[in-house]
Amino acid sequence: MHKHSSRPIYAIAAGAIAALTALSFSANADDDDIWPSLQKEVYGTRSIIENDGAVLIDAPERAEDPAVVPITIRVPPSVKGPLKSMALIIDKNPAPVAANITFGPAAGNGGGERRMTTRVRIDTYSYVRAVIETEDGALHMVKTFVKASGGCSAPAPKDADGETADLGRMQVRSFDPALASTPLREALIMIKHPNTNGMQMDPISRGYIPARFIKSIEVKRGDDLVFRAKTGISIAANPHFRFTYANDGDSALSVTAIDTEPTTFTGGNGAGRQAAAVSQ
Amino acid sequence: MCTPAQLQTIARPGEEETKAIARALKRSISRRSVLAGALAFSVAPIVSRVSALAATAMDFTEVAPGVFVHQGRYELQSPQNRGDMANASFIVGDDAIAVIDTLGSAKAGADLLAGIRAISDKPIRYVINSHMHPDHVLGNGAFKADGTVFVGHHKLARGLAARADTYLASSKAMLGDDAFAGSEIVLPTQAVEKRTTLDLGGRELVLEAQSVAHTDNDLIVTDAKTGTVFLGDLLFSGHVPTLDGSLRGWLSLIDQLERHAPARVVPGHGPHAMQLPAALGDEKRYWSTVAGDVRKLIAEGQTLSEATKTAGQSERGKWAMFDQYHVRNVTAAFAELEWE
Repeated sequence: MHKHSSRPIYAIAAGAIAALTALSFSANADDDDIWPSLQKEVYGTRSIIENDGAVLIDAPERAEDPAVVPITIRVPPSVKGPLKSMALIIDKNPAPVAANITFGPAAGNGGGERRMTTRVRIDTYSYVRAVIETEDGALHMVKTFVKASGGCSAPAPKDADGETADLGRMQVRSFDPALASTPLREALIMIKHPNTNGMQMDPISRGYIPARFIKSIEVKRGDDLVFRAKTGISIAANPHFRFTYANDGDSALSVTAIDTEPTTFTGGNGAGRQAAAVSQ
Repeated sequence: MCTPAQLQTIARPGEEETKAIARALKRSISRRSVLAGALAFSVAPIVSRVSALAATAMDFTEVAPGVFVHQGRYELQSPQNRGDMANASFIVGDDAIAVIDTLGSAKAGADLLAGIRAISDKPIRYVINSHMHPDHVLGNGAFKADGTVFVGHHKLARGLAARADTYLASSKAMLGDDAFAGSEIVLPTQAVEKRTTLDLGGRELVLEAQSVAHTDNDLIVTDAKTGTVFLGDLLFSGHVPTLDGSLRGWLSLIDQLERHAPARVVPGHGPHAMQLPAALGDEKRYWSTVAGDVRKLIAEGQTLSEATKTAGQSERGKWAMFDQYHVRNVTAAFAELEWE
């Protein structure tokens, strides 16, 4: 879908990082608004409706920890019908598209506020955008400005030796809604994974720690897709997604996440699915 | 005395790794200074030498015979405080001096050195860093001299090297060019694996490496002669504690520390000297409150953003620097405890 990209939008090739960082730094200084070119790269010539209330975004004005910035994208009940897709974009990050999500039949058709929460890294003061595609094929966008710096190159692990323990461990929780008849319910997926982005320095070699991050996540209820996300290096360590989905039938979810190795991690909250499994 | 009794293991195992890190850091710094040439980094050493001559001696309080503590301010780094915002100490033996922590800039380090020289002219044999944070290590450069050994936890070199660029850049931004001038990362040349004893002549210091708590490289120093225990940032008093390690690890270390009754303890931020276990009371209450509130919110299915607005708010008004650090503490606590 982004075959003509000149700028990597999910991840950057190892080795090109130092050069790229230097380039984007000088480019940003001269050309503050990089959205027009980014929009062209991601959406081509399609028009985007901004601030029409079809999508809302919650982010802290100032991120206390730039390596763990919570972002919530909300689609109000006034928007009817299934959503086709949702993207989270951080303009000034080295790889701006944090996640691009497509929805399936188990995502629900509305009837309440639809939400998607995740945590991202933010490398410098930047606009953070949410773009959704509604059933009619129209694109809607909202943006907010976040003051944060150093999220991507931040030497994140507080306990450097504890970070890689339990790789791939997964927690999946579904929350019972207050009213059983409500059309949407909420679930949480957490995956233990350092999500190294290729921008953190190995203190001994002074080389960059190779990027190893979750690149896709698929969530299903039975055979029905809830969503499939293509994710990039802007997602914080221990990827975290909290989202609404259709509240009909079984609440049990199964999750398949694949990283760049590629290693596949699976988990779920249904009977017999409590323990996460890892397979190469 | 603060960790379970162990046979003494002298800290040579980490030495090779420390050297490798030092070599690598040198390479990186020369690469960075080439890149930063346009920013006139190259004038820094000259400015630093000038300021070292003009150093104004820091004040010290003698908390026990031969044990001197300088109390830092409860502030963020600023051009005015020049990184003097943590406690720094020195201990005088028959033959030599050991310094514990060097404050947050080369200039503050030079002022600290001038303060020490106003009291004793014995050689400074050891500079010990209690952990990696800039307000405790960026003055190291002022103490570089023949025969001075820099000592730290065996994970200090790794932690510092990984953060060197970030620490230097953010300190420069906060301190301003003038107060930052000459500041550099000086890595430990002796690593404490578990427990190491340093001899100052008729006076022994016991250094014990801790498990992850405030950071993953906390060191506790005990002056055996006077029973003075230097806790570094494992003890905050007045100044809100900050979490850059493990909340669970820190709370369990507090439980261990409470069982000891040394003559006095010296906090990393707080008064010159305090008594156990009372000294730990506020800090234990703060972390227990944060942990309790965050665990409750996680169990209720609440989010990190909600936690940053409510968790631990009963502690507001009880600490200096609460607004600067509390939300970050809650964020770190949430990200740790949600995996329990």
